[in-house]
Amino acid sequence: MALELDYDRSLYGVEHKAGPFPVTAAVIKSFTQGIGETNPIFIDEDAAKEAGYSGLVAPPTLCTIFVRQVKLPDVKLNFGKSGMHAGQKVQSVTPILVGDQITASSHLKDVYAKTGRTGTMAFVVWETTFSNQKGEVVAEVQESFARRE
Amino acid sequence: MPYFEDVDLGDEVGPLVLEASDDGVLEFCRVWGNDAPSRFTDAEIAKRDRMPGPIVPGIMSMAIMARLFTDWAGPEALKDLDLVFRQPVPHNSPLSIAATITDTRQEDGENVLECDVLMTGPDGQRYVGGKALVSLPSKP
Repeated sequence: MALELDYDRSLYGVEHKAGPFPVTAAVIKSFTQGIGETNPIFIDEDAAKEAGYSGLVAPPTLCTIFVRQVKLPDVKLNFGKSGMHAGQKVQSVTPILVGDQITASSHLKDVYAKTGRTGTMAFVVWETTFSNQKGEVVAEVQESFARRE
Repeated sequence: MPYFEDVDLGDEVGPLVLEASDDGVLEFCRVWGNDAPSRFTDAEIAKRDRMPGPIVPGIMSMAIMARLFTDWAGPEALKDLDLVFRQPVPHNSPLSIAATITDTRQEDGENVLECDVLMTGPDGQRYVGGKALVSLPSKP
C-alpha cells in the first residue's frame, strides 16, 4: 500500500511568480565561463550573429539559475530530516537570447513516496514555466527534492 | 553537424571529458545568486554536510552535461534533459559525459533521438544519469 504523506495539499494549483530576470551578456558570460563552454554561438556575439541570431545565445539550461529566485513556500512535509536535490528536468522550447527578460511561474507538481532497497524516500516536485518578454514559453523546468526516512 | 539519417540505435555520443574547477564553480554560484560560502565552495561546510569536499551544484552538472549535445548537434538540438543526481560530483576531478542512442523516431514533424546519458568519474563512479531528447535535421 502506498505511504500516505502528510504535507500542505492546499499548495496545489497555486502559482508563484517571479522576475523579470534580465538575460545580460554578463549573465551568459558567467554561466558559460563556469561550465567551460567552448561553443562559439554561446560565447562570441559575432559568431552568434553569423549563425543568424540577433545576439549571444544562452545555453539551453540557463534558466535553471533563476529557479531558486522564485520564493517557494514550505510544503510542510512531515517526513525525514535532511533533504537533497534529487533530480532536474529541463524542456527547452524557444532559444533564450541576450536581452531577453525572463519571468517564472512555479507550482507544486507532486509529492510522493518511493520505497527501494535502501528504504523509503519522499519526493517533492516543483514545476516552473519560464517565458520571455513576448510571452513565449522558453523552457519548462522540474526540480525534485528528496527526503530520506 | 550530424544528420538524422547518419545515426543508429546504439551509437555513442561523446565522451566529453572535463573538470569542474574551483574557480568555475565559484563563477557559476555567483551568477546563480548563491555566492555565500556553501557546500559548493567551502571545504569546511562541505565536511559538516558529510561531503568529502566541495561539490558541483546539480544545476551546474546539468549545464555541463547539456554541452555534450550542443557541442555535437548545435545550440538548439537539445530538447529535453531529465537527470537524476546519484552521487555528489567533486571539483577538480575528471568527469566523463557520454550518451547512447536508445530510440530514433519522427514526432510532430521533428527527427527525435532518445539517449541515455551518464556522467562518470575516473573510477567508474556514476554521478549523474538520465535521459535526453535531441532533435537532428534531415539530410538536404
